[in-house]
Amino acid sequence: MSKKIFIDFKRCIACKACEVACEMEHGEARIRVFEFPDLTSVAFNCRHCEKAPCMEACPVNALSKDEDGAVVLDPLKCIGCLMCGLACPFGIPKIDEYNKIMDKCDLCAHRRADGRMPACVSACPTEALKYGDINDVLWAREGKIVAELKDIGDRTNVLEAYIIR
Amino acid sequence: MAEKLVPVVCPWCSVGCRFYIVNVNGYPKKIEFDYDHETRNHGKLCPKGVAAFQYLRHPDRLKRPLKRVGERGEGKFVEISWEEAIKEIAGKLRELKEKYGPEALAFLGSERCSIEENYVLQKLARALGTNNVEYVCRMCQSTSVAGKGMVLGHPGLTNPFEDILKAKVIVLWGYNPAATNPVFFGQYIEKAILDNGAKLIVVDPRKTKTAKYADIHIQPYPGTDLAVALAMLNVIITEELYDKDFVAERTEGFEELAKTIKKYTPEWAEKVSGVPAELIRKAAITFATAGTAALLTNEGVNQHANGTRTVMAITEMMVLCGYFGKEGVMSGAIPGAHNGMGAGLMGVGPHELPGRFPLHAEEHKRRIEEAWGFKIPEKPGITYVEMIDAILEGKLKALYVMGTNPARALPNLKKAEEAFKNIEFLVVQDIFLTETAKYADIVLPAAAWFEKDGTAISFERRVQRSFKAADAPGEAKPDWEILVMLARELGLGEYFNYSDVDDVLREINRTIPFLTGATPERLKNKLSGCMIPCPDEETETPRLFVDGFLTPSGKAQLIPVEYKEPGEVPDEEYPFWLTNYRLVGHFHTGTMSHRSKSLSKRWPEEYIEINENDAKRLGIKDGDLVRVETRRGALVFKARVTPHIREGVVAAPWHWDFNYLTKDALDEYAKMPELKAAACRISKVEG
Ligand code: SF4
Ligand code: SF4
Ligand code: SF4
Repeated sequence: MSKKIFIDFKRCIACKACEVACEMEHGEARIRVFEFPDLTSVAFNCRHCEKAPCMEACPVNALSKDEDGAVVLDPLKCIGCLMCGLACPFGIPKIDEYNKIMDKCDLCAHRRADGRMPACVSACPTEALKYGDINDVLWAREGKIVAELKDIGDRTNVLEAYIIR
Repeated sequence: MAEKLVPVVCPWCSVGCRFYIVNVNGYPKKIEFDYDHETRNHGKLCPKGVAAFQYLRHPDRLKRPLKRVGERGEGKFVEISWEEAIKEIAGKLRELKEKYGPEALAFLGSERCSIEENYVLQKLARALGTNNVEYVCRMCQSTSVAGKGMVLGHPGLTNPFEDILKAKVIVLWGYNPAATNPVFFGQYIEKAILDNGAKLIVVDPRKTKTAKYADIHIQPYPGTDLAVALAMLNVIITEELYDKDFVAERTEGFEELAKTIKKYTPEWAEKVSGVPAELIRKAAITFATAGTAALLTNEGVNQHANGTRTVMAITEMMVLCGYFGKEGVMSGAIPGAHNGMGAGLMGVGPHELPGRFPLHAEEHKRRIEEAWGFKIPEKPGITYVEMIDAILEGKLKALYVMGTNPARALPNLKKAEEAFKNIEFLVVQDIFLTETAKYADIVLPAAAWFEKDGTAISFERRVQRSFKAADAPGEAKPDWEILVMLARELGLGEYFNYSDVDDVLREINRTIPFLTGATPERLKNKLSGCMIPCPDEETETPRLFVDGFLTPSGKAQLIPVEYKEPGEVPDEEYPFWLTNYRLVGHFHTGTMSHRSKSLSKRWPEEYIEINENDAKRLGIKDGDLVRVETRRGALVFKARVTPHIREGVVAAPWHWDFNYLTKDALDEYAKMPELKAAACRISKVEG
């Protein structure tokens, strides 16, 4: 199963450590933090889609999936035609104005290669960004909900006393 | 290419995050996260931490000593040699001391330098015969030190970070950790709230990223939170929500406090602070009945001319509810910089000896004099803000500034600038040509934090060692080395016989009893350090006040507190409350963060927050330029129209020119200036 970065927007405090970490690693931030008027904020990067429209749209097969399931760009093949950017429903691939080829999140391929986590995930002080297998992440959440329900079950008497009062 | 990973302590805020600098042949290449050690940050970093090496190789770095050639403040200098610079400084200090006496000299230490460097600085001041030695704590934490000192006998954070995970209620009072300490917020506070169900009470005129998580958000006018604290005490006492056994066994002065507090009802506080009485009542009940509580304060409380009173009242709330000495509680104020606490403990204070013993503590004084081999001057020195008046009155002739930027940090900056223009001799030792350095006669290039070995004490009372991870540019030298050179030139060499920082730390181990166990060997072997007091190499102290308080009687002193207004309040001419705040991407006066590319790009400029209703009344739209005027000066800001600040209050980040607007009214106990409240008027800039 492929690994991805999951975003728990409830935890994000818009500190932009993820952006800065990505910028340090790649020269340009490939993740962006959006802030909304009600103080919610969401850090957003490539979804590494299972059926990636960018990959399908690319005329020269510059985009491919690596062994971890990350959608990565081969800069030697890319011709800068911008098709992937248009096809991506999230507008992720961006043109690198200097080299005139595309630039996108590769889940920090070089960091993964030596067993380190993606830079943005490593930095995120609130763990709003999690890197892992979707099943593990879902299970962690499900596990917590089950545990909470069980806990409430154990406290039923307390709850009843509370409600009656 | 020899690549090395060197462990360092983060140079910005006081959480004490650890990470590595990747060093390639002496050159800092990038940072790397540290997940392996038992670090407080669990490998996590905020944007400042991640960008922490950027300013190191900024082209503006000072590389050689400079001598002023132009007018003061103009910033025109010529390069000179180290030998010339040190000779000139020593000569001038000697001359001024002979002519006007040692009290005409003053020294400023730094929360950005190591404990070793601050120790050497205050020792040099004292060897020269003056207690005029200070650092910026006067303007960040001094009210907290004074207030907590009076009530509890110790100002430090009481518990290790983990304890907050078990707190049932968390009160963040004048403190926005989501912006000022994101890692502490994310790894501890947020987990306590989102994962462990802690209730959160926030006291702040602004709805911040922290307040987003609040169950109860109290929005007083700046500096009137003292009224809220008094009213909460009133509710806790009159509704008998306090811990009677604890009050009986471990406190003194309850009756007096109860009598004083009677008149400070929530209804009274509503009139003063603008916070609904019912909300204050609800907060008091939630806080007092929780069972375990963490109550953390910061500059929103501290930086007021009534700050000490507010700190005392808030601390007494914790005492009354019996929340001290247990697991799952926490009380403390959070210093701004990574060594804010350490510098203070080294005796960089006009009334304090190393170890923060008062200057008049005879037995400690004798002990330290014996260790040093010279007499400590009798007369207490003057405090930070008072130094400005002393310069203008012609009493203070020379100021030696190490790693700090008073020409941006002081209140009422116009007046401060006047002083720096008129001082007879000014030396600044820093890594950049700061606003202050532009006034200096001699500027000395210092090594930055990552360019030297040194020890810092985080706000958790944790002593940690940071290691040299890069070579300093040009001829820049570590601050302690510069001070030792100067001491030798002054003929004081015998007292400053250090060949490396470990020598200094060993002397600190001998001089300050509660740091005896924080030896160079221990800190090098154990990167997570130890929590003070650590009287020997095996011991450390995770929790304070388990058995007793550190007051002379061992009991908390419930000193009655009366209401006092902040240093300036609005009137007809200046109808708005003006306050300030910090941005996550900037640090203090911006000496380092304004020169970090990734930070200045994301947080490029200041702006002022105005409530949407106020803005409508004044015809101001989001993005308009507005003129903000106080009795001291005027600045122009871009307006940010928002519902997240209460009506009648406007707020701007302080990292730029904010202090042209503030007033230098002082707290009567701690001499803290009124940095967070001023009366202002605002108008749209037309055109
Ligand atoms: S670039 Fe867009 S389309 Fe391609 S994988 Fe990422 S999110 Fe999906
Ligand atoms: S995974 Fe790496 S490349 Fe992708 S956004 Fe995060 S830091 Fe940037
Ligand atoms: S680092 Fe984490 S908390 Fe900070 S902005 Fe990015 S996702 Fe949000």
